[in-house]
Amino acid sequence: MHLPEIDKFAHLKSPLHSWDPRVKIISISILIFSVVLVRNLQVALVGFCLTTVLIFLSRIPFSFVFFHLKWVLLFTLALSAILSFTISGNLLFRLLFLSISREGVNLGILISLRAITATLLIFLMMGTAKFSLSLKALQKMRIPDKLVQLLMFTYRYIFLFMDEERKMIVAANSRGGLKRRDFSTLKTIGGIAGMLLVRSFERTERIREAMFSRGYNGKLNIIDEFTLNSGDFIKASITIAVALMLNFPWVMK
Amino acid sequence: MHISDGVLSGYVCAGGYAITFATVMTTIKRIKVDNMPKVAVMTSAFFVASLIHVPLGPTSVHLILNGLVGVILGPAAFVSIFVGLILQAFLFQHGGITTLGVNTIMMGMPALLAYKLFDLRDKFNFKANEFIFGVLAGIGGVFLGTIILALVLITTGSEFVGVAKYALLAHLPVMIIEGIVTGFIVSFLMKVKPEILRKDRR
Repeated sequence: MHLPEIDKFAHLKSPLHSWDPRVKIISISILIFSVVLVRNLQVALVGFCLTTVLIFLSRIPFSFVFFHLKWVLLFTLALSAILSFTISGNLLFRLLFLSISREGVNLGILISLRAITATLLIFLMMGTAKFSLSLKALQKMRIPDKLVQLLMFTYRYIFLFMDEERKMIVAANSRGGLKRRDFSTLKTIGGIAGMLLVRSFERTERIREAMFSRGYNGKLNIIDEFTLNSGDFIKASITIAVALMLNFPWVMK
Repeated sequence: MHISDGVLSGYVCAGGYAITFATVMTTIKRIKVDNMPKVAVMTSAFFVASLIHVPLGPTSVHLILNGLVGVILGPAAFVSIFVGLILQAFLFQHGGITTLGVNTIMMGMPALLAYKLFDLRDKFNFKANEFIFGVLAGIGGVFLGTIILALVLITTGSEFVGVAKYALLAHLPVMIIEGIVTGFIVSFLMKVKPEILRKDRR
């Protein structure tokens, strides 16, 4: 089974890895919003190329990045396909009974470029530091304590339960439980999901007691200190400048 | 049920974020410190359970389970879904940073509806009470979510009306499967661990 591993390459050294996580998260978020609002195909392409250059700079292997893009590609492909024949306009060509319009195809490509660029930027934001460090940065940014804690705990237990779920699926499969495709399969799946919930529910009691006995009082104490230097601000200004340029009136024409 | 980045207009994204933040801020206060580990652990359990694929004809669909989140976590369901979607966007690269607000409303509001719907079960006394209300919660969760999805797409622009229609159509079988599976899960929990469904545990 493939585990989520966005921070697999967090140990590398690059200008993006050395960037302070707080400044990095804010700057790249601004860039993501800017890319998503681009209305012009050429500008979207420029944004995509710039992002690819940044990924090259961050030294995260391209094979890793493109493998993880599959969900976004699947979504945008389906959306583009529907758009290309539901929007009426100049006829590009005919496919059996469907008429493919130029406007539809253009909009589909624009949306796909925006979505792919935004997702690539997430690699730069989250893939260049350990996920736990990024979460600590969020807390330093005054995101409510409870929210950061929920993110941390949830993140921690996902891996455990994925393992558990995989075992249950293997067990059900080896007994032929998922062979048929009828009502009884749904009951089996309901049982697997239910059992997963029961096991995790029983675990919460023990986790709760373990946490409270170690002095958990609802607060998150972080000992990591973050320091800012001029390099952080230079990188931030370049990123925000690019973000503004992409949506500047003269490029919107 | 998920809108990726780059589809919606800036106004819709901003509106989605505003409503989500307001709802998260008001409901997160109601989670007691005592219940924090429970909400977090159940959130990851739901996250993993929603990765289970259900065979459907020649393909398979995965569960959404937002109705069930509402049934089990009650008012904390909205925050739980928000956390789940953040992790999904960042860990699995499903995309959806700018649409996070809209996506949370699309799944979280129906979860709150499912919670209210499921609580009505005390007023009835069917033979398979839990199963029936589980089915209703599951169907309600996907149904309201799909309606919100279609509305969001239509308000983004007239060119998305076609997409909205296909989205509605594609979610019909998902809705039925989700309802039946949620029903089975709820009746399973009722047999094995009824205290999960008890109201005072929320």
